[in-house]
Amino acid sequence: MKRYRRVWVVYCKELLETLRDRRTLAAMILVPIVLYPVLMIIIVEALRAETGRRQAERYHVAVPDELHRAWLRSVLDREDAAMEIDDSKAVPGAPGPSINLEEGPVAFLRARLRSEQVEILVLEPGGSLWDLVAEQSAAAALSVEPPPNPEEAADLTNRRVLILQNDTNPRSEYVAAQLGSILQNEAERIVRQRMSKLPGGVATLSPLVLSSISTSSPEQQFAKILAMVVPFLLVIMTVTGALYPSIDLTAGERERGTLETLAVSPVPVGQIVAGKFGVVVTIAMFSTALNLGSMTAMFHFSKLAQLAAGSAPSTTMLPADTIDSAGAAAEGRLTQRDYHERRRQLEAEAKKKTGFIITAAPIVLLAMLPFAVLAGGVMLATCSFARTFKEAQNYMMPVMMAFMIPAMVVSYMPTTRLEGVLLVLPVANIVVLIRELFLGNYQPAAMGICLLSTCFYAAVAMTVAARLYGNEAVLFSDVGSYKTLLRRRFIKPASHPSAATALAAVALVFPFYFYWQSYLVNLDDPPDRIRLVIAGAQLLVMTAPILLLTWFFKLDFRDTFALNRPRALPMVGAVLIAAAIVPVGNFLRAVQYQWFPPGKDLLGDQLLVLQEGSLVSVLLALAVVPAICEELVFRGFLLSGLRGRLSTLATILIVGLIFGLYHMYMEKIPVLTLLGALLAIVCLCSGSIYPAMLIHLANNGLSLTTTRYEELGRILLMPSTYDAAITPRYDYPMLAYAVIFLIGLGMVLLTKRTAPHTS
Amino acid sequence: MVEVHELVKIFPTTEGGEKRAVDGLSFVVHPGEIYGLLGPNGAGKTTALRMVSGLLTPTSGHARLAGFDVITQREQAKRRLGYLTASTGLYQRLSPRELLRYFGALLGMDKPAVEHRIGELIDWLDMHEFADLRCGGLSTGQKQRTNIARALMGDPPILIMDEPTLGLDVLTNRIVLDFIRAEAARGKSVIMSTHYLDEAETLCHRFGLIHEGRLVGEGDLAHLRERAGKQRLSEIFLKLCGHAEHVLRQRPVAAGQDREDQ
Repeated sequence: MKRYRRVWVVYCKELLETLRDRRTLAAMILVPIVLYPVLMIIIVEALRAETGRRQAERYHVAVPDELHRAWLRSVLDREDAAMEIDDSKAVPGAPGPSINLEEGPVAFLRARLRSEQVEILVLEPGGSLWDLVAEQSAAAALSVEPPPNPEEAADLTNRRVLILQNDTNPRSEYVAAQLGSILQNEAERIVRQRMSKLPGGVATLSPLVLSSISTSSPEQQFAKILAMVVPFLLVIMTVTGALYPSIDLTAGERERGTLETLAVSPVPVGQIVAGKFGVVVTIAMFSTALNLGSMTAMFHFSKLAQLAAGSAPSTTMLPADTIDSAGAAAEGRLTQRDYHERRRQLEAEAKKKTGFIITAAPIVLLAMLPFAVLAGGVMLATCSFARTFKEAQNYMMPVMMAFMIPAMVVSYMPTTRLEGVLLVLPVANIVVLIRELFLGNYQPAAMGICLLSTCFYAAVAMTVAARLYGNEAVLFSDVGSYKTLLRRRFIKPASHPSAATALAAVALVFPFYFYWQSYLVNLDDPPDRIRLVIAGAQLLVMTAPILLLTWFFKLDFRDTFALNRPRALPMVGAVLIAAAIVPVGNFLRAVQYQWFPPGKDLLGDQLLVLQEGSLVSVLLALAVVPAICEELVFRGFLLSGLRGRLSTLATILIVGLIFGLYHMYMEKIPVLTLLGALLAIVCLCSGSIYPAMLIHLANNGLSLTTTRYEELGRILLMPSTYDAAITPRYDYPMLAYAVIFLIGLGMVLLTKRTAPHTS
Repeated sequence: MVEVHELVKIFPTTEGGEKRAVDGLSFVVHPGEIYGLLGPNGAGKTTALRMVSGLLTPTSGHARLAGFDVITQREQAKRRLGYLTASTGLYQRLSPRELLRYFGALLGMDKPAVEHRIGELIDWLDMHEFADLRCGGLSTGQKQRTNIARALMGDPPILIMDEPTLGLDVLTNRIVLDFIRAEAARGKSVIMSTHYLDEAETLCHRFGLIHEGRLVGEGDLAHLRERAGKQRLSEIFLKLCGHAEHVLRQRPVAAGQDREDQ
């Protein structure tokens, strides 16, 4: 209790002090509250100004003679007249010019060149249109061959029009583009006039009148837009929010000379760091919440949501009176008119509803919490190195980039889904998770892994921060440089890794292990090759770095990996557990499936391909190598790092949970966590890793062997059907196995506990 | 009571060698005694005091405060320690009163006890006029008084002061020295390090002269005078340190020499 009270005391004081700092307040409150509305106003005003300028400005267009001038003026006037009709009401059934006039902020930029803005210059005798445009005396120039006929625009002569422009000049580019579209429209008008004299008339021109409507609600469409921008913004806001307090509470404290005072007070470093960490997370979350709120308010009050919803680009609708659905209606089917009607209703409803983002906000905030914890931890850990505020700011640049780049990359990949490596890829997984939340896709399993892995990384970051913060090379900058922290000759030999080292090592290996597997495993490859890749991952990516670290940090291999000879009693217990582990595991899995039924394909059928080929190779890759490697890493390195630092129960649970997470399949996590915890108990009680390896080997090896020998499968009560796999057995054979298992466990637990770290 | 036994601290240097900052330091300070740890710059005074305060972990040897080992019984030891240096900073955005409350809470004192103690300290150090202003705006003297109050918050039986008067004006200097004397008179064990030998001469009961991480002379003024054959502390200091310099030069393995890691 006392420890929490002191963490709380530190927390309150740091929060009070941080909130009294104007810089923090400005960054945290003023920026989000003022920034968005101001940004909005600036953007809208800038667009308006640009449009206004374009509409007020006059442009010179050069033509070779008076005939051209008269013709061009009449074309421009016709275009103006046509557009006025267009703007008030789209021409029915006509795939005419600019039918897809979008409303919305973008519409500002769709300003059209009007006749009165164009001043037509007639070329002086002996002059050249080229020179006029090149010297920028005219924005563009026009030449028509054969010469135009201003009296009868729709005569039967076909002409070539040349537009001269200078595309390094934006004004020239704009005018040329506008002239191009105006002439395109003119061409259509001519075609219509010519056609109107033929039998069938203009209608011949429109054999197919296209319309397309989206079934998504305007809210969903708005969410789609938000989902592209907001997660990235939120990540940035959280990181920015955490930035200042983490520098201030570490490097700032050192620079002001208060760190020594704090270090001499009777409070363990861990509690001080925990309090500070709490402040960083609080500020980061508060800043995120304010930003989210301010964004919501801006979308709400500026009616951007409705604009966005109304401009659904995938929808082009026809005016109601142009749709003749008599045929379909007679047959009792839903008609096009009905569908159009439904779409109109949807949009009308959306105009009344507001604040969609408000309903999504709380859950999004909740999802941001583990991320804020991660960001805070990483930043505190990094800042702990810095001796001055400035130095810390320099260190923060790469950290900010490390957070922003994955977030940015993923937000440019809108079709990325929450699966595979992405589930455990820090930062990127949270961005995708929030995007899915906005889109209304709730995938509890994948989201669970996402949040759990983020929590795991966060815990590692925090442990490392606590360790660095208390380090004397960091505490007193005059005491030898922190560079010596990582030089091997200054590392004191130790019997086993520290908790920070153990967690950090496992956390670093974690993503690489998955990169390797997802990059190299291709289920179409021959099974032997896949198995080689998997075993390679275990040996090279997972175990080798851990062994290397053990050497580097001068740890005692025997102590770190519990390479002791097991005593007789727990060894016998382990043999009994090993004998019963497969049926007991299947039973527990079935119990779990009773509550959370798995998908049919999630029972690992796609992995059956791995089990083809020689049994020796299968057992080697999927049983022997994992039993050795995973035990060395989890029950060796990780367990020896954690034990003695935490309560035994917490140690066992954490080792189990990390082991479960490592296997990535949400459905498998509960039972694998139990298995991991059981192996940790066995290792702790027996003081040796070998019994745990034996149980692990039996667990993997026996179930793999049963696929070859049906008799063994029957003895071990292997479920043969989907139904059998999800129904727990309550019969005598199962009871017998349970008893064997419990006797084994009892023997293990009854062993007198070895004192931690005796060699 | 402070017991220091054979303290050694070896630092790695950036060049890849190592430096023996403190090399086998032992001394004892009794209740009511002011012990002056004197030595030239870089002699290892600050490192020694940091080890005695539990801020640095000794490479070997141990220190006990009021019977508690500063490493293995860190919390109990620190609870009995008041630590003060001239460079100690204050939280700029807290007032002295809030600062004292914070450290009181960290010491685990309950609220009424904290308020009572703050009242006492404010009276005693005459902090009334600035007790509720932000520390950032205080004068040097006011800051140092606040720092003294902070060190005394838990009424610790042991005070360790590393150059407590460095850079202070005459008036504040006086306040600090008076406070040290008063606390020693109340039965506290005080260790202080200083450059100002005159100040030490009038204040300390016993001295430890430290040079290159070793104690080259220890005892009260009479004893040191007798040993060095000099009258003034500064002369004694020069004599004993010079002698140590001579001895050290004779020895082949000296401080600062690179050693391969075992």
